[in-house]
This record gives sequence, C-alpha cells and structure tokens, in this order.
Amino acid sequence: MSAVAASAAIPVSRARRRKRIRGSSIAILVFLTMCAAFVSLPLYVVIVTSFKTMEQIALGEVFALPTEWTIEPWRMAWSEVCAGMTCEGVSHGFWVSMKILFPSLLLSIGISAVTGYALALWKIRWAGTFLFVLFLCAFVPFQIIMIPLVLLISSLGIFGTIWAVAIVHSILAMPLLTLIFRNFYKDVPEEIINAAIMDCGSFWRIFFEIILPMSANIMIVVLILMITTVWNDYLIGLIFGGVGTQPMTVILANTVITSFGVVKYNVDMAAALLTAIPPLIVYFALGKFFVQGITAGAIKG
Amino acid sequence: MPHVEFHNIVKRFGRVTVLEDLNLRVEDGEFLVLLGPSGCGKTTLLNMLAGLQEVTEGSIVIGGRDVTDLDPKDRGLAMVFQSYALYPTKTVRGNLKFGLSAQKLDRSEIERRVQWAAKLLQIDRLLDRKPAQLSGGQRQRVAIGRALVKNVDVFLFDEPLSNLDAKLRTEMRLEIKRLHQELAKTIVFVTHDQVEAMTMATRIAVMDAGVIQQIATPDEIYERPANLFVARFIGSPAMNTLKTTAVRKNGCIGAVHAPTGVHMDLSAYPFLAQPRDGDPLVIGLRPEHFTIGCDARGDVGARFSLPVRYTEKNGSDVTAFVDSADGELIAVRFDHKHHHVPKTGDVVEIHFPKDRFDVFDAVSEKRI
Amino acid sequence: MSVRWNWVSPRIALIPALAITAIAFFGAIIWTVWISFTRSRRFPDYAIDLADWTRQYERLFGDNAWQTALQNVFVLALGSALAIVFGFILAAMIEREKRGEGFFRTLFLYPLAVSFIVTGLVWRWMFNPDLGVQNFLRGLGWEGASFNWLADSHTAMYGIILASIWHGLGFYMALMLAGLKSINTEIWSAARLDGVSFWRLYIEIIIPMLKFTFLTCAILLSLGVVKTYDIVLAMTGGGPGTSTWTPAYFVVNSYAARGNIGFASSAAVMMLVMTAVLFLPLVLVTAWQARRREAMVQ
Repeated sequence: MSAVAASAAIPVSRARRRKRIRGSSIAILVFLTMCAAFVSLPLYVVIVTSFKTMEQIALGEVFALPTEWTIEPWRMAWSEVCAGMTCEGVSHGFWVSMKILFPSLLLSIGISAVTGYALALWKIRWAGTFLFVLFLCAFVPFQIIMIPLVLLISSLGIFGTIWAVAIVHSILAMPLLTLIFRNFYKDVPEEIINAAIMDCGSFWRIFFEIILPMSANIMIVVLILMITTVWNDYLIGLIFGGVGTQPMTVILANTVITSFGVVKYNVDMAAALLTAIPPLIVYFALGKFFVQGITAGAIKG
Repeated sequence: MPHVEFHNIVKRFGRVTVLEDLNLRVEDGEFLVLLGPSGCGKTTLLNMLAGLQEVTEGSIVIGGRDVTDLDPKDRGLAMVFQSYALYPTKTVRGNLKFGLSAQKLDRSEIERRVQWAAKLLQIDRLLDRKPAQLSGGQRQRVAIGRALVKNVDVFLFDEPLSNLDAKLRTEMRLEIKRLHQELAKTIVFVTHDQVEAMTMATRIAVMDAGVIQQIATPDEIYERPANLFVARFIGSPAMNTLKTTAVRKNGCIGAVHAPTGVHMDLSAYPFLAQPRDGDPLVIGLRPEHFTIGCDARGDVGARFSLPVRYTEKNGSDVTAFVDSADGELIAVRFDHKHHHVPKTGDVVEIHFPKDRFDVFDAVSEKRI
Repeated sequence: MSVRWNWVSPRIALIPALAITAIAFFGAIIWTVWISFTRSRRFPDYAIDLADWTRQYERLFGDNAWQTALQNVFVLALGSALAIVFGFILAAMIEREKRGEGFFRTLFLYPLAVSFIVTGLVWRWMFNPDLGVQNFLRGLGWEGASFNWLADSHTAMYGIILASIWHGLGFYMALMLAGLKSINTEIWSAARLDGVSFWRLYIEIIIPMLKFTFLTCAILLSLGVVKTYDIVLAMTGGGPGTSTWTPAYFVVNSYAARGNIGFASSAAVMMLVMTAVLFLPLVLVTAWQARRREAMVQ
C-alpha cells in the first residue's frame, strides 16, 4: 500500500497544479528561469561567438546571433591555431587526451575494482583500517605528492610520456574509486560468495564470472567520473606531459593565454568548445549516471 | 459532531482512473475502517479526505461543510501517518506543540493540551526526548498525541500499525480502540490487515479496484459477505469456494459439486433470489464451520470424503487441506484437542452444517 | 602442503593498491615533509640543518604572495559559500515546484562537466571589456557599467568567485536535492495538515534535518577551495600581480617557475595542514553519523 501511496503522490501533485497555478509557483518558476539564464548565458555567448566573423565580434554585441555563420574558426581551431611555438591546432591535443584516457581508465578501474571486491567480499584483516586510510588519501591535495611523483616517474624513465600522465591519473583516482567499488560490492549478499566458493570458484573466477557481470551500473558511474576527471585535468598533463604529449586542456590554455598578435576570439572560443564537448556529450547522454557519479565521488566513504 | 460524506468521487491519475463515482458516508463518532488489498484506492481516498490529494470530480463534505477545495489545515481534522512523520529535529513536546503553531492559541492552552494528551497516552515522561530516542510503540503514541492535541472531531489513520511488531500491534489496537471509546470522535482508519479491521471497527468498508465492495459491521461482513471478493478477503484461512451447479428437486434447492459428486443441501439458506435449475453457483464454506469424523452436529448440509494433502498445526487448532478432486484444496479447521490429527493421505469424512453456507452467483459473483 | 589459493589470492590482489598507498601517498607525503625542512633548491638535498630547519617556512611566511594566497583562500571560501546557499534555494524550489525538475536540474548541473580551464577562459571572455558583458551594457546605454573586474587587483578575486559559483552551483544543488528527497514525504504531508507556515517549516524542520548535508557541502567546498588552481590560471594567470594567487597556485609556481623544490614543499605541507584541519570534522561527522545509524537500527 505504501508503495502505491508513494507512486501516487507524484502524478497527484501534477493534477492538483493543473487546476490552479498559484502566484508562488509563478514566482518560483521565474526565479528558476533567471538562474537558468545565468548558468546558460556563458555557454550561449561562447557558442555564438565561435560562429561569428572577427568583423562582427569587433562590433561588440556579445549576445547577438552571427550575421554570417562561419565554421572557419572551428576549422582553424582544430587544425591551424598556434599553441606557443607549434601551430597544429588543438587536434593534436585531442588525440593525446584520447591516448591518455584509455590507459588511465583501464589501469585505475582495473586496480580499484579488484581492490574494492577483495575488501568488500573477502574477509581480510585490517580491511576497515585500509579503507579508512584510502578515505584519507582520497582527499590529499595533489600538490603535496606532486614533486616526489615527478622524481619517481623520472626514475622509471617514462617522464614526459603518455604513460606517465596515465599512471599519475590512476594513482590519484585509486583511493576514491576503490571506495566507490567497495561500497557497491558490500551490498552483494554474502550468500552469493559463499555459494560460489562452495561451487569451487576461485577468487578470480568469482570476480570475472559473477561479480563483474553484476557491476554494469557502477562501471558506468565510475567511467563517467573518470572520463570527466581525466579529460578535464590540466595540472597533471602540464607537469607530467612532455612536448607532444600534452593533453588538450594544456594545448587550449597555451593557445588562449600565450597568443601573440591580434586575438582571434572566435577561434579561441571554438577551441574551448572543442575541448569541452567530449565531457558535455557524456553528461547529456548519461545525465542520470553523471549525477550518481559526482555525488558518489563527493560524498564518500 | 460532524459526519463525513463523499459524493460521487472520481480520481484519475493522468488516464488511469483510480476511483470511479464513489459515495460513502461516515457517521458521527463512528470508527470506520477502509479495508482492502494494496492498490485498491483506500489510501488515495484517505489522502483526498485529508486534502493531501486533489479530487478530480465530486465533493467531500465534513459536518455539512463542503471542504473539497479547502487546504488540509482548514478541514478540521488530524492524521496519523504510516511512518509517523514525526519531526526528527524536535523533541516530543516540540512535535506535539508544532502542530498547534498554526492555530493561534495562547501558551497555557497549548501546555494544557500537551499535558492532557501526554497523560492520556502515557508519554508524559518522554516529553523531552527526540523521536530517534523512542521505541516504535512510543513513536506511535507520539504520532497519535500530535493528532489528539489538535482537538478536532475527525481523525484519520493511514496504516499506523504496519511498522510495529505483532505484540505491539495488538497493544496499540486496544489502545486506539480505548481512545475511540473515551473520546467518541469520528475515526477513519485505513489498513490492509483484516484483524485490525475486525477488532477495531464499528463499520468496515471493504474496497477493491477503487470500488467499495461492501460496507457493514464486522459481524455482517464476516457472516454475510456481499460478494465473492469480500468472502475470500475476510477470514483466515480464507473461505473455501466451490464451483457448483444448482439442482432443484422436489421443491428443495441444492447444489452439486461435480468433481466430487457431493450434493449440498441449501434448503436452510435464506436466498435473496432463487436460482434456477442448472444455474452455476459458487458455494462458500468457511474452514472453521466444518466438523470432522463422527462429530457432526445439527443438520448436515454436505458430506465429503476426501484425502488429506497436508496439515498445519497452529497451537490450539489444526488446519487440514483436503483434495477436492479438481486440483483445489479445501481448508478445514478443527480443534485438535478433541480429535486425532489426520495424516497426509488419510481419507477423512468432513461435514458442513446446513445453515452455514454462503451462496454466490458464479457469473455476477454477488451473494444471492 | 597445498597452497590455499582462496586465502592467498585476495591478498595478492591487494598488493597494487597497498603499494600505491604506501609509496605514492605515504612515501611521497613523508618525502615532501622531509624536503620542506632541508635547504633543497633545484635538486633535492636530504640533509637537514638542525640549527636552521625552519628556514623554508620562515621564508614562506615572509613571502607577500603567500600572504595573499592565504587571504584569497578565505575570500574564495566565503564567496563560493554562496554556491551552497543558492544551491539549497534552487533545490528547495525545484523540489517544491515539481514542474521542469529534469530540465532545470540538467541545466544547472552542466557546468560541472566543463573543465576549470574552459570555465576560466569562458569567464575571462565574459569579463573582457571589449568583448563581454561590460561592452554590452554600455551599448544598452549604461555608460558607467564596469565589469572589467579581472584587470583590477581588488576585484579580480570576485571574478574568480563568480566563475567558481557558476561551476559549482549545480553540484551543491544536486547534493541538496538528494538530501531533500531523502526526507520522508509524510513529513511534508504532516506539515501541510498542521498548517505550518513555509518559513517555519524550512527553518525549524527542513534545514535542521539537512544539517549534515550542509556540513558535507561546506567541507567539500573548502577542500576544493584549497586546491583551486586551474581556474585562476585560466582567468587571471594569478594576476594582476600576485593578487589572485592561491596556495595551490603558489606551490606549482614555486616548483615549475622558480624551480625551488624545498620552498614549494613547505607551501605544499601547509596545504596539507589546511586540508587536515578541514578534513577532521568530516571524519568525525562521518563516524558520528555511522554510529547514529547503528543506534537507529537497534
């Protein structure tokens, strides 16, 4: 009955409001719309400007639509614009970011899922302590371990490569992802594991044949969290990436901040949009999981 | 004191119609229980009375006043929720007082009411605790207390006992009944538990699929269910219902159960409408009215000889499930002190008294 | 004797995570703390001069840019706290007015998917006097409009705050909305039946019920503020002068631009101290909440 009452509650309030729209409702909607305008205006301006010609931009009407739509800025941003000394557009950075993304995802999710599984479902002494330590590590600011990591990565001889960036991403993400996986796996009934052990399942077979197929939801959440984190990162790419292995954000910052001569705003904005589009696609395609991802990432523990 | 009336209530959620043209009158001082399975619309009906949900069509009248479009707070009623809905950040006293905040009362009056309700419910020693520090039963009392202090004439209860364990539930049942007798207020109580309904109500409205199937006193509902739904819903174990065919012989009406070939003598049944020969009938047999073996008393209306499939012992009595030959089981309940308990596979002879049949039309499913 | 693989395997599986924790986190933190007490400059020098082991910290606290960075952390934390306040207001409104919930939630949250670098650049353009809002407002006839905040060292920080709010608003709204939705619907019904006024309901019941959500938001916000780096770089590059430096910016700058490992380490250690101070209440609250949950179950 309670389920019925709960599911009934939502459509009811709609029927109720269709009948009489109150003043307070209108005030709320007006306020929400204003806030929505504040949130969406910058994106609007950037999109609109990226399609304008420099002549129109010089007129200064930021909110006006382009009088003459042009994709020339996008083409230049993708393949011609100069970042510092090199002039090959942000496309190079795009591919570097892609190449960083995949090993980062594989490494971080692989380690974290197995660790979370072991901690959640196999009786291991000190598991609680280790989880608490991971909880602490998840909040350590990157700057405090940045310099020793540089030395460590250098001593491995991979400093300045894509692998360096991917490994540092995986290290930094490991504590949080492990906590997320562990929290997901701890709700798996113990009986399942016991039954699997009785059926002669080994640690790895149970993981690959039973646990992993159950993890689709949490995998999507974690994937989204990691894709946005890795793609949007700047500092790790800046410090650990070398010439030719810097990710898109670094290329973008170099393009916009250290540009010489006349600033081509339309090209800059197209470059910024090109950098922002991949995570935005992920966001708009998988919004529900995205919210879960960031709240899981935020809360804990 | 006010009575509550529902006139031609229609409730739709989008295209789904939950209640269709429902009429109901709750008398002054009555303890009316809305009883029905999940999704029958009973909670929706209660929420509409409270003003928490809007009616699509129709009107609700409390004490002669049309409250259909009034805010919940202006309807002059109080409600006890299933989850109690206590304000977790307030003490018990704060919870009792908070409900009064909208009514402009002076301090001493508020204090007087809080003390009165607390004493009545024996929660006066808990007044400074937070809800989290209370047991389930205590929370339940606070929830009732919060309704009581509002000093209204109509109380609504939305499955308030479903979160309690069996023992507490029995206790609170008595407690709520006592309150009803002491305060003599109108109570509308929603539940899916027939025991609650049978023990507390002055009248029960049995609902199914948005329709009130029967509204009557608990005895009436039990003794003379208006249709097959009510017959099967009330009683535990549920009433046995056998598909039969009416037989008129020498002016006497009987019914034949084809799979067993048993003839039932319906001559003592007070028919509302006489069936014709060959009409399909459904005969209801309450498990507790059977007698077993040579124990038959009074006029036997039907005599079965059937094998036992399994038995269930329940302290003082035993329920045997016998095979009615068409794949369905007939539950038979008897007192096991006076009988040996039959074993699975035993063929037992069971009798059903002539004056205890319930007869329904197989097509309309209504009592005839 | 046979090996009990079901005993051994889980422990082997933990090795990578343990190694990362021990080396990349604990080892690295200890290394940084150690180095911060040495005279290291461009290259690590592991000898601690016991007579003068606080030299890096003395220099640090004597450094004007560090002072500015510390002040900025506070300004930024206080300013960005508006994101929590507005996040709550938005969540409460969305929760109350169910219409358009999906639309508004999606819209308020999208900035979170945008990197700090892009956020910073976008707002840099919005504040650009020739290009952005100022020019637009002047074009409308408001000649005195001044939105060139980033060029002035007194107002540049507010520009960064605005951009941070834009970026984080939806996040706090989502957390608050989750908190509001976790409140038993019957509480709202009970309040309606009691005729409790809107303000009393929120101030006396709802906000106290969400106090842990608020606290969590506040701590997450402060931890984020301590780490603020990318958005400053993209918007102002730390300028004008050093007016928008933050501790994180300071550390990266000391290391990458000045090439002074010892000095950067001491600033990084101070960041760790700040994080720990902010973090402690979160640990306590989490532990307390877990205990309370257990108590509720009993």
